[in-house]
Amino acid sequence: MKLGNWLALFVALVLAAEIARLLRQRAAQHGRWRRLFRHRTTSWGIGILAFLVIIALAAPLVAPFPPGDQLGIVDLKNHPPSWTFILGTDVLSRDVWSRIAWGARVSLGIGALGALVAVSLGTLVGASAGYYRRWVDALLMRGVDVGLALPRIFILLMMVALWDRLPFAALVLAIGLTSWFGTSRLVRAEVLSLRERDFVVAARALGAETGRVIFRHVLPNAATPIIVSAALGVGNVLLLEASLSFLGIGVAPPDPSWGSIIADGASTIYTAPWTILFPGLAISLVVMSLNAVADGLRQALDPREEMA
Amino acid sequence: MLSAMSRRSPFIICGILAVATLAGCERRGGCTGSFCGTLINAAIGEPPTLLPPSTEVVVANDIGEQLFLKLADVGMSENTIGDEDFQPLLAQHWEWDGPLTLVFHIDPRARWQDGQRVSAADVEFTFDAYKDSVVASPFRAKLRRIASVTQRDSLTAVFRFRERYPEMFYDAVFHMRILPAHLLRSIPRDQWRTAPFGREPVGDGPYRFVRWQAAQAIELVADSTFFLGRPGIRRLIWRFTPTLPVAVTQVIAGEADVREQLVTPENVERARAAPHLNVITYRGNVYTYLGFNLRANGDTSQPHPIFADRDVRRALSMGVDRALLVKSALGELGKVPPGPMSELLWIWDPNIRQLPYDTAQAGRILNARGWRDHDGDGLRDKNGQPLTFRILVPTTSVLRVQYAQLLQAQFRKIGVQVEIDAVEGAVVTQRTSSGNFDTVILSRGNDPSPGSGITQTWMRGGFGRSNVGRYYSPEFERLVDRAIAEPSRDRARALWRSAIETINADAPGIFLYALANVAAVHTRFDNTQIRPDSWAALLRTWRIPPDKLIDRDRVER
Amino acid sequence: MMAWLVRRLVASLAIIFAVVTFVFILIHVAPGEPCAQIDVDVDPIVCDQLTRQFGFDKPLHVQYWRYLVALAHGNFGYSFSLHRPVRDALAGTIPFTLQLAGAALLLDLLLGLALGIYQAGRVNRLPDVILGNTTLFVYSLPTFWLALILLLVFAEQLRWFPVGGPNDPILCPVVDSLYCVADRLWHLVLPATTLGLVGAAGTARFQRAAMLDVANQDYVRTARAKGAPERRVVLRHQLRNALLSFITRFGLAFPFLLTGAVLIETIYAWPGMGRLAFNAILTRDYTLVTATALIASTVVVFGNLLADILMGVADPRLRVRAGADVEVVTA
Repeated sequence: MKLGNWLALFVALVLAAEIARLLRQRAAQHGRWRRLFRHRTTSWGIGILAFLVIIALAAPLVAPFPPGDQLGIVDLKNHPPSWTFILGTDVLSRDVWSRIAWGARVSLGIGALGALVAVSLGTLVGASAGYYRRWVDALLMRGVDVGLALPRIFILLMMVALWDRLPFAALVLAIGLTSWFGTSRLVRAEVLSLRERDFVVAARALGAETGRVIFRHVLPNAATPIIVSAALGVGNVLLLEASLSFLGIGVAPPDPSWGSIIADGASTIYTAPWTILFPGLAISLVVMSLNAVADGLRQALDPREEMA
Repeated sequence: MLSAMSRRSPFIICGILAVATLAGCERRGGCTGSFCGTLINAAIGEPPTLLPPSTEVVVANDIGEQLFLKLADVGMSENTIGDEDFQPLLAQHWEWDGPLTLVFHIDPRARWQDGQRVSAADVEFTFDAYKDSVVASPFRAKLRRIASVTQRDSLTAVFRFRERYPEMFYDAVFHMRILPAHLLRSIPRDQWRTAPFGREPVGDGPYRFVRWQAAQAIELVADSTFFLGRPGIRRLIWRFTPTLPVAVTQVIAGEADVREQLVTPENVERARAAPHLNVITYRGNVYTYLGFNLRANGDTSQPHPIFADRDVRRALSMGVDRALLVKSALGELGKVPPGPMSELLWIWDPNIRQLPYDTAQAGRILNARGWRDHDGDGLRDKNGQPLTFRILVPTTSVLRVQYAQLLQAQFRKIGVQVEIDAVEGAVVTQRTSSGNFDTVILSRGNDPSPGSGITQTWMRGGFGRSNVGRYYSPEFERLVDRAIAEPSRDRARALWRSAIETINADAPGIFLYALANVAAVHTRFDNTQIRPDSWAALLRTWRIPPDKLIDRDRVER
Repeated sequence: MMAWLVRRLVASLAIIFAVVTFVFILIHVAPGEPCAQIDVDVDPIVCDQLTRQFGFDKPLHVQYWRYLVALAHGNFGYSFSLHRPVRDALAGTIPFTLQLAGAALLLDLLLGLALGIYQAGRVNRLPDVILGNTTLFVYSLPTFWLALILLLVFAEQLRWFPVGGPNDPILCPVVDSLYCVADRLWHLVLPATTLGLVGAAGTARFQRAAMLDVANQDYVRTARAKGAPERRVVLRHQLRNALLSFITRFGLAFPFLLTGAVLIETIYAWPGMGRLAFNAILTRDYTLVTATALIASTVVVFGNLLADILMGVADPRLRVRAGADVEVVTA
């Protein structure tokens, strides 16, 4: 690691801490949002997430080597962590830290985009089912049941088998298309209950068209499960991507993603454990942080907590 | 209520374990002496069937070695010319009755495991089955030069050949495992692949089939009356594990006794560090290569825009430092092959002329063929097309995926851009058979005979099958045909050398590595003879000294 | 109630039918043929023969119709890659899958409940905080990563547990004695722990939140005000709710435990349905893939139905399911 990289890393840490602190300060002014930070874990979660996102964005600055560079395939293969390679090298003598930094882009990107597709689709389907009810509801929810009846890895495996070589976008799409079922159920439940509330009935009586009613009145109040779902969804997608890469059907070599780094290192776990330790920790940290933030959000936005 | 329950449950569990351990103490059997013992092999993958003509899978072959006998076996020297180096098995002795006629005398002591004697009728039946197009045995093509097999009397089988060539004896004995005619005659040939006999075989070999637990294990037990000597180890178990790392871990933890191939340097390092394991190296029978598709990607009637040019292929080969890659990925466990061969073959000779590693020369040749960096982006191009291609590699092989990435870096250094397609095995097979690829990394296993593998993979007869790149050189084929037909070993060796030098100069592929086989065997086993072409062929000679028996060896079941 | 049951049954059958059709189409459309073998020189005649024998060259709708007819007769077909009837292949794996899923769920329920209750009883004090962070961490782990670590530490280094496989191949190829039962349990520990720990962490988190919810409910406050022994009241209500929500989560988790546990089964060499299905997809073994989809979806759908019935019986308010609100992590 060169001096510039250490500097960039330090800046990233400081920035992340600042973001967490700033958010907490702003939140302290609103009652509801103050609850968001009631637990220390939430601010830690936000801080860690911010740090990893900054690392992903600033990968060229933080990473001393290009992620695909084989630095010395005989001498520097499976090198343990040292000052030059702070997280060691892998079986092809690539710097693990650089791969994790660049891989953050891929993994977090897949996570965010996949969750976006999943949550969007789930919200759309759930809202339609909950609002229109009757046969639309029955049809859509049976479809959701079908989707829930098969485990994701099974379906994903078959979908991946359909493409000769899987482009990044197709992978994101495939993951998104198989992850929306739970969200749709949640949204449907919320919409069902919100539908009969006064403001919605009033809007309908005033002649607002359905789409407007859904988007401007119903959904914003159903935000809680959607947002929480999104936060958890990113974590789920990340874990799913890691599993797929481990099975050999995720991100193609030599592009780094946290899952494929683990897959590369799985055969040398006994002689070079750092190759799977650090990417695994990275994944756990992100999912943990997302879960902590989701917890905080749930507490902040849940009206029942007003009483506690 | 819950708390009360949670207080009681640990005691219940302890109670069960206590009873179980006591019950377990009773189980230790009483086998002592020289013919006890259990050998557990951590095998990878489960065979589809144990009927010999229907499968070429390695595990099925290993188990087949214990169940079914061949007429004779190659010796440790792996010499396939003539008949001096062969060991009698089912055939007690043989003689030549004319230049094209070979007569085998079957050992009268040989018995099928249901008691019937092995007779020449079985040999005749076996040949008929192996050649039957309905059975469609993968060994069928290798028997094409045998005209007929008939029985002269119940213990004499006569082989008649179409032509005279040096490996006649080898062809007669190596490919076929003799089958029990009386048990298989009634099964319709088109059902052989799925017949129950394949899951409960009856043979005449040193071991008898006991049970096959689907997805778990196959168990064999020694036949104490085996006519060539009672096997030293009483029981053999092939335990199926899904992947190599799991299998190696089982051996290192002492739950399995042998893993015949460790493959990677990490595994060898772990095995060497384990005090209860011996590490045995023996000549490997597999080589791996990067094959160029000489026809267009997706259209076998057109030449490939890059690889149809011989000079470009030569330049690309010269741009790869094969020795360095072997050192990095395999350490001491692999060698750079001097051609399309593994170290098992007697034609292996490091002095055969190959293309050198010379990036400067590679650059010059590419320049001369018009592939220069015209636009300064670090990549060569010609007529506006960049010099880029894709490597197809199966995800099932970690080593090959690793190699694909190593090659990518090597090609980058000479200005060639390479993308990697890591896909499932089924897709690789489909794309190679339909010609939908640029390059592919494949492995080929060798018989001891140099001719069979090379004929299938590098000659025109293999188009549409093993010769996925569709390489054809009349000069090469001429030399190979002469080499195969040459009865004198020294002259044959010289002819083979010319042939291999020809194919090396044509560079239809880059011959990347020939794996050395490294086996890990538990130290308590004695006389662990391993024949390189088939490691399990001599399992019946392995022994465990009575003082080294461990618990699971003594179980008598 | 009856009408609802009948409607649900019909819907369940429709779902299973839809699942099987979807899977059937998907696996047939995927490139790659069933009898292809890599690195081995397979005679094209073999492939042609087998293709014709099993009718894989017919158009898709013809194959589909024949499959349905065969299914109606109870014939699941023949597995191309395993060379056995599909029924035998599946029947072999079901006990192992059930054992693994059952043990994992048991661990999940017991440990998760215990932790959740313990934490709720000491809310925001040190034990709660430590356990809370630990469960958060465990819940976030990739299961296959946990499996690799557990295998490394407990099986290879410490030798406390066996390195994979369901049994001792010599002494207990079949479970025919008490010793073999114990042997099976011993082999079950690591894989079930890997699956169950992550589930238990999730259950603990959920339970803690649910119990804290209940503690503030009116009926608990009332009981408290009436002077009834708090522990008994709270515990009874909380346990019942806990069990009910566990049944719901169980319904969501079941598909994962059946065929999603591929990674665990691969790492531990456990011969369950997940690994079977995975290999079937890789080898394009059409009949096996569709049969697995059929079995898995049937179990899941009828399991959910059973769970709904149980919950309807237990709590009349829940007769119409509004949907569960916990995301299950399938990793």
